[in-house]
Amino acid sequence: MTLWRHEARLLLRQRLAMIALALLAVLTVAALGAGMAEVSRQHAAIAAIPAAQAEDIGAIAAWVDREKDAGSAAYYSFHPTWNAPSPLAFAALGMRDVSPYILRVRALGLEAQIYDGDTFNPELALPGRFDFAFVLVFLAPLFVIALCHDLVSGEREAGRWRTLAALPYGGAALWRRRSLLRLGLLSAAIGLPFALAAAMSGVSPGAILIVLLLVLAYLLFWVGLCALVGRLRWSSVANAATLAGLWLVLVLVLPTLGHVAINRAIPVNQGAEIALAQREAVNRAWDIPRAETMRRFYAGHPQWADSPPLETAFHYKWYFAFHQVGDESVAKQVRAYRHGLETRDEAARTLGWVLPSVGVQALLTRMARTDLTAQLAYRDAIRHFHRRLREFYYGYLFRDRPFGKADFERAPRFDAAP
Amino acid sequence: MVETAPPILIENLAVTYGDHRVLDGLSLSAPEGSVTALLGGNGAGKSTTLSTLLGFVKAHAGAVSVCGVDPGVAPDAARRQIAYLPENVALYEHLTAVENAQYLLALSGGKQDRAAIVEAFAAAGLQERAWGQRLGAFSKGMRQKVAIAVALLREVPVLLLDEPTSGLDPRATADFNALVLSVRERGTAVLMVTHDLLSAADIADRICFLESGRIVEDVVAHGPDRFDVRALHARFAVATQRLAA
Amino acid sequence: MNPTSLIARDELRLMRRNRVAVIACLLLVLLTLVAVASSWAHQKGIEDLRARQQHEAERAFDAQPDRHPHRVVHYGTFIFRPLSALAAFDPGVDAFTGNSMFLEGHRQNTANFGDVNQSSLLVRFGQLTPAFVLQAVAPLLLIFLGYGAIARETERGTLRVLMMQGATRGAIVRGKLRALGAVALLVALPAILGLAALAATSGAAILPTVAIVLGYGAWLLLWVTVIVLVSTLVGRSRDALLALVAIWAVSVVLLPRVATDIASAAVPLQNRLQTEVAIARDLREMGDSHNPDDPHFAAFKRSVLQRYGVTRVEDLPVNYKGLLAVEGEKVTSALFDRYSGESYAAQGAQNGIVSAVGVISPAIALRSLSMAAAGTDFAAHRGFLEQAEAYRYDLVQRLNRLQADGVTYADDTARDAGADRRKRVAAGNWEEMPDFAYRAPDGATLAARSLPGLAVILGWLVFAGASLAIATRRLGERQ
Repeated sequence: MTLWRHEARLLLRQRLAMIALALLAVLTVAALGAGMAEVSRQHAAIAAIPAAQAEDIGAIAAWVDREKDAGSAAYYSFHPTWNAPSPLAFAALGMRDVSPYILRVRALGLEAQIYDGDTFNPELALPGRFDFAFVLVFLAPLFVIALCHDLVSGEREAGRWRTLAALPYGGAALWRRRSLLRLGLLSAAIGLPFALAAAMSGVSPGAILIVLLLVLAYLLFWVGLCALVGRLRWSSVANAATLAGLWLVLVLVLPTLGHVAINRAIPVNQGAEIALAQREAVNRAWDIPRAETMRRFYAGHPQWADSPPLETAFHYKWYFAFHQVGDESVAKQVRAYRHGLETRDEAARTLGWVLPSVGVQALLTRMARTDLTAQLAYRDAIRHFHRRLREFYYGYLFRDRPFGKADFERAPRFDAAP
Repeated sequence: MVETAPPILIENLAVTYGDHRVLDGLSLSAPEGSVTALLGGNGAGKSTTLSTLLGFVKAHAGAVSVCGVDPGVAPDAARRQIAYLPENVALYEHLTAVENAQYLLALSGGKQDRAAIVEAFAAAGLQERAWGQRLGAFSKGMRQKVAIAVALLREVPVLLLDEPTSGLDPRATADFNALVLSVRERGTAVLMVTHDLLSAADIADRICFLESGRIVEDVVAHGPDRFDVRALHARFAVATQRLAA
Repeated sequence: MNPTSLIARDELRLMRRNRVAVIACLLLVLLTLVAVASSWAHQKGIEDLRARQQHEAERAFDAQPDRHPHRVVHYGTFIFRPLSALAAFDPGVDAFTGNSMFLEGHRQNTANFGDVNQSSLLVRFGQLTPAFVLQAVAPLLLIFLGYGAIARETERGTLRVLMMQGATRGAIVRGKLRALGAVALLVALPAILGLAALAATSGAAILPTVAIVLGYGAWLLLWVTVIVLVSTLVGRSRDALLALVAIWAVSVVLLPRVATDIASAAVPLQNRLQTEVAIARDLREMGDSHNPDDPHFAAFKRSVLQRYGVTRVEDLPVNYKGLLAVEGEKVTSALFDRYSGESYAAQGAQNGIVSAVGVISPAIALRSLSMAAAGTDFAAHRGFLEQAEAYRYDLVQRLNRLQADGVTYADDTARDAGADRRKRVAAGNWEEMPDFAYRAPDGATLAARSLPGLAVILGWLVFAGASLAIATRRLGERQ
């Protein structure tokens, strides 16, 4: 133990090391603060939904109640859905700045609505967010390099190496001790503020532990890399240049190359094609016999087939039926599109097994539920909710039941719980 | 068996770096309480001998033992018996003399009692005002005193010195030599590698001249004058010329 | 040969003999070539896809059968934003904005399907483009090659030797600058050639291309100056390297992210839900088209009847429902414009904050310069959105007027079996509707937008140059 105390004293007396550790802690705290502020903004936006929604629906209910037409109610009512940030979201904001976390849908064709984005400033999204994941993945390795690049070479250049190596406890164990000490202090500078912020945000102890282990493992990778480069017995300067070069390649260049390669290897038909096809299918209904649309609809949804036949006048049940048929006509493309996205994501995750930078980012965003998988899960939740919306309105439309003010209260509500 | 093994025992040692044979059949033994000086030109193999004793370099052939321990097999056990001063004692400049000593003692597995350290500093002749000072401003002589003090505290049977007096002024050299003799009095086997014939003749019990990896001259001190310095100088000069040719 | 050239030649020879340096340079050139090729292929692919889809969308619009004009208002149209000529050099926000938009009556839709929502998480690590290589990677290479330029000489004491042989301080520093500058040129050359090829093949304007070349030239020159400056100020080469890498990490990696976080915290954006609810509220206050007694629409009806000198809408020579649609669209569009104007203003304010931070971090200034000149920044995207909205409004109003003139009020309100047929207008009308043609900003506009960024970088260059001049005078005084 006393050896460790001596090493700690040796390190703590070095001004550069102390400044670096303090700076890393400050950056971590700032990133955690920024992430928590962003998450609380998102919570506030979600909390503001009911009031806005009540006002909006109230106004629609007021005039729909006069004619009690279920079709108008279904056509004009937007229903909110949201994807609340997970407790850990503050640590890795992932896609949450560019993918919508609030989306209002109507009982109309979903494929024309589900890909809508929210308002965001693209120039702000471009460089990415300053969050904990960024500090860990991008910045922490630079601090590891600053502290560990000259562990052995520095002693050699200072002329102390032989003195130390000639001592019984001055061999390989000494470098291990020094590396571990730096690893411990760097992990603490990142891990302690994180653990505190995570506990404040209500992250489960198990998840905190996993993230801490992840921090430790990622930093250990970089410490190990420093040790490997150190074995080449180059000068401190050469070590620093080599390690900074490796950082550039591992953290910036290879992920971008991987991005290009994955998008090339796994083509995804643009989502716009789904939207185009769905619009064509929906609008065609106006030009074909209405009975044909109804036949197709009833074939897929026999529970409504006993509805009274259409008369010459416009009836909303036909309108909603052709919207649903339109959605169903592109179901195959939707699946293919989704599959393509998942395959790309999968490929990136596989790359994460080889590239620690990508692996850490992937794991953090997965745990924080801010990745593509979470985005797709949110879309699934929207689809599920949309099904319930349709069922609800169809109960009025296909049974010709009046839709009064009280019925607005009965509309399904989005259940945010996954 | 370990009880009776001499502190330093080298028999027919051969060391090669690639194709180059640095030590070639070197034999040397140093008893307790002795000072052995190893002289020789550049590349004669002086430093390699020390490195082999410290376990940095493995013997290609022959045997090396430090108090009966083969440093090639158990370097840590061998190093426990050795105190080593490199040519330039470089320590941590941002620590004080006492802190440096504590750190080195910790790495030697010894106690780091401040009172004992201060006592050793006094014995090594380090001025009292320097004890709590950072090492940044220390001269080579002062640094060596810190290192010697650590060696004294470790009470090891073997002290290896690499060019200890190069760069020291005559007064500091005399101080240092006195210190080495006091270490010898404690029963330590001292092996010093040096260019400095005069200094070696002052304190050594035995002077070996190393050339092309083997000992070519071996002179033991005798009588009140110990060594005939003039004769030694002549012999070494001839040997050096041979080496140059 | 004068001392400056000698020193520059010596430094270059040293770099040539450094195998690692040569390999790093070659790798960078290779990376640039890969970036140019992949970026070009990627943009080409997107462009083809968009062109095809745009064509498909226009064909589908024109091929509509006889329809009621209001059906066509909701059938709407898809438009695609063509890429700017220099997007392959710096795609800017292109991956984030989405480039297709569905335009329909009384709704303002978002641009959807940005690459960022269709790619793996790797997209957030940045994109491999020539701009990225020059912005982020090239400075780091220059750092590796140049940190020791002066520090090495100071450390080894060779600086004094040089000075004793008659080289002045200025000559030494200028020689090192020249050597590193030559490397910078070499590093930038493939990207610049790629840019020139892109500009030539895609018909980009000269001015923005020149702005980009000037901007990146000044950027790399700034790094060359800063590297030599730090190498002059810091006595030990390792310290110089660490300091330079720190400066690089802070200015290129850290500050751009911090700036955006500051901006998004300082200026909140209203989300879509709140905007839609607010628009609906304003619409209700202006006039409720669902309420027959609404004062706004009652007044509108009175004014129409008065204009045509009739007392009943049935007696109007035009279809009142069409006129009502024109009026309704006018009201809603005015609101859309107001709210999107507010949102653009807020985003503009956010970008203003980022630019203000750019005064400390020239990397931000360079990025805005580059995107602005390439026509891939927010301003260019906003231009697209505004043109799209203008087109949408024009198209919808043409269709509404077609309803007013081409469908009689009696047919439009009839509910008999044949009414549906009578309500439709001939398919030939759809071809008459103009297609969306995006007017890209001209070269002068793009170049002008890039000037603030260029000014910041040049300002830094002057500052760094002056600092170096001062540091040079004190060179070799210490120790």
